Amino acid sequence: MPNFQKYDIAKSQLETAVDLFFRGLSYHSVITLAGAASGILSGLVRAAGKETFVDYARRVHEGMRGHMPKRDSYAHHIEKILGISAHKHLSEKDTDTVELDLEHLAADALARAIADYVTLYGQHEPFVSAYLRWAWVKKDGPRMMELYEAVPENMRPKSE
Amino acid sequence: MTTKTYTRLELAADQLHAAVCLFITGRDRFSVITLAGAADVILSRLVLNSGQENFTDSIAQMEVEKGGRERPRAEVGKALNDMLLINEIKHFDPGDDGIVTVSDLDECAFAAILKGMANYVTLAGRKEDWVAAFFLWVKENMDPNKYNVNFDPEWESSAQDEQA
Repeated sequence: MPNFQKYDIAKSQLETAVDLFFRGLSYHSVITLAGAASGILSGLVRAAGKETFVDYARRVHEGMRGHMPKRDSYAHHIEKILGISAHKHLSEKDTDTVELDLEHLAADALARAIADYVTLYGQHEPFVSAYLRWAWVKKDGPRMMELYEAVPENMRPKSE
Repeated sequence: MTTKTYTRLELAADQLHAAVCLFITGRDRFSVITLAGAADVILSRLVLNSGQENFTDSIAQMEVEKGGRERPRAEVGKALNDMLLINEIKHFDPGDDGIVTVSDLDECAFAAILKGMANYVTLAGRKEDWVAAFFLWVKENMDPNKYNVNFDPEWESSAQDEQA
């Protein structure tokens, strides 16, 4: 039977998500695909002994709030904030509707997945560099870098 | 910033629609499975909330009618999702070998869509253009010996007979 590497599966899902995002076809699907890719990529980053997006976020939380949240609960928290949970779960007690800023959430869900992808494989794939260039323009890259320069060394990503 | 209110059905239908479009245009099968699987989780619950049996319940009932043991909905649902790779292609747990083995990826993606579609049709019917187009595409493109392309409730696969 044919075998597939999870790395390739995550890459395919993320590439599809970026394609749907730039063509504005389905931000709902972008959120779900980026979430699924992150589920694999974060595991691969940890297995490689590197710092995941979620672990970096936990470290920032510790620096700002004084305590390190548990990995699973913080990952769940991030998935909820990014709208990923709303797109793949529904319980009996959930509300009938949900309020979302879809384009904004889709861009952020991609940012999380791309961060882990870049930690593992760099920025060379066209879909990765396309997203990063878009983010540089849309999120005011020069201003972001100014702000980043003011971030203390111990609050920066370890993958730097 | 454009925050809007969405129904749960809208969240699911949009993802299922995308899965159908990706499938019939020959795009990434893993993305199809992920999207159809996510949509189906929502749709399965919405069908139950509407007081009807969902697709998983139908499969469980069919198993019993064929002499199998009665199994809880959650157990049958997990078995179906495992068979369709829905969980495996969104996780990488400690100790994972990082390899996914599947005999027929196309079939898996098609089945994931059909599972979601069965629940969608229970809730919303076939009136949307993309739903009607999908059923027409199935009739025109899938093997009628292997798949129930006319969606006949009395249909039985001749491909299975040949294998038996």
